[in-house]
Amino acid sequence: MVRPAMSEEGHRPGPGSDESDHRGFANAAWAIPSYILSGMAVYGGLGWLLDRWLGTSALFPAGVLVGLALALYLVYHRYGRS
Amino acid sequence: MLAEAMVLAGDDKVTGSLGAVAYGLAAIGPGIGVGIIFGQGVQAIARQPELTNVIRQNMLLGFALTEALALIGFVVPFVHK
Amino acid sequence: MSAPHLLASGSGDEFEAPGLHIFDWGPLFPDGPAWLDWFTKPLLIVALAAIVVIAFSWKAFGNPKLVPRGVQNIGEIGYLFVRDQVARPMIGKDGDRWMPFLFSTFFFVLLMNLAGVVPVLQLPATSHIALPIVLALVVYVMMLFLSIKHQGLVGYFKNMMFPPGLPKALYIILAPIELLSNIILRPFTHAIRLFANMFAGHLLIAFFATVSWWFLAEKLTALGAGVGLVGFVMTIIMTAFEIFVQSLQAFIFVLLAASYIGGALHPEH
Repeated sequence: MVRPAMSEEGHRPGPGSDESDHRGFANAAWAIPSYILSGMAVYGGLGWLLDRWLGTSALFPAGVLVGLALALYLVYHRYGRS
Repeated sequence: MLAEAMVLAGDDKVTGSLGAVAYGLAAIGPGIGVGIIFGQGVQAIARQPELTNVIRQNMLLGFALTEALALIGFVVPFVHK
Repeated sequence: MSAPHLLASGSGDEFEAPGLHIFDWGPLFPDGPAWLDWFTKPLLIVALAAIVVIAFSWKAFGNPKLVPRGVQNIGEIGYLFVRDQVARPMIGKDGDRWMPFLFSTFFFVLLMNLAGVVPVLQLPATSHIALPIVLALVVYVMMLFLSIKHQGLVGYFKNMMFPPGLPKALYIILAPIELLSNIILRPFTHAIRLFANMFAGHLLIAFFATVSWWFLAEKLTALGAGVGLVGFVMTIIMTAFEIFVQSLQAFIFVLLAASYIGGALHPEH
């Protein structure tokens, strides 16, 4: 494996590694669990209330999964695209 | 094997906060997964700094999916009583 | 529960793992006057941490010289660490303005955490949830105030709940998630993260220490000695690990505080 040692190209930090991007990345990494948890809480809670109202038992787990999917979509929308 | 398991289940009843045990077990896999994602991501950035942005995005997506599994494990004890 | 708990908790013949009672501390002077009953061990640790931070900062920065000598050197190393690792990456160029808050919070939390491995004290004060909650609440109120000041009341909720570029119908579904995540779960996880780490770490050390004390000192048998030896070694290993975790959690607490302040000052568009 021969590579041009210490070439300018390889050691220059990429265009996206400046300070503001680092901040965005750290914020995102801390915010993601919170998003997922709140998605599950909002729609799981909605399903739980509907369950109590209608006397069913399937809406709570369904709501949790729906909230999970929505939260993942939100994470994708916020952080997953360039 | 099945009979053995049934005998065990009959003899020693597991009591206590099973939900906590379940969450502990459910946290093992995502824990390993998150470690692999960030470890490999850091390694990838170290090898190719010019691709930092793309790698970070994919790290975040993989992290979100793995974390979702951990949080499902957190919720299941509430759902399945 | 006035006397310091010795490690062995069981009075009978059976080994008893340490439970939640190791976090309960009565008045420090049970025979003292009644008006001193509020003075407990966690409170002593908090007071000590505050006094040490104040005295250290006073000594280091009270009369700064251009060429630092003695304590000022250590103080400047700490200052540079917090500034370069926390304030500037998380808040940006105006991060230096927030250094007094971040610096004192970092060292306050660090000292309270490290009390968990200091002999005699041996209780991380942050393992009582009241302290992380109060600290997180301070950051939370500050974040709300700064957000509304810098973005306006409407602008703050608009930036938070309606990220641009989504189809209109999805906003109704996604806005509650954003609201709950930003307004309620943020301070909650901020406090819980510190509390849970300190709580679990203290319980873990206490468990291994109890195991080694019980099997090596109280009920020494040929069979139990091996278990006790493992407990003894694990106590040492877990103590070293706890020093690492305690420093890391203090760092993360300040990092998140700075990240919330930075998010309030410079909203993402």
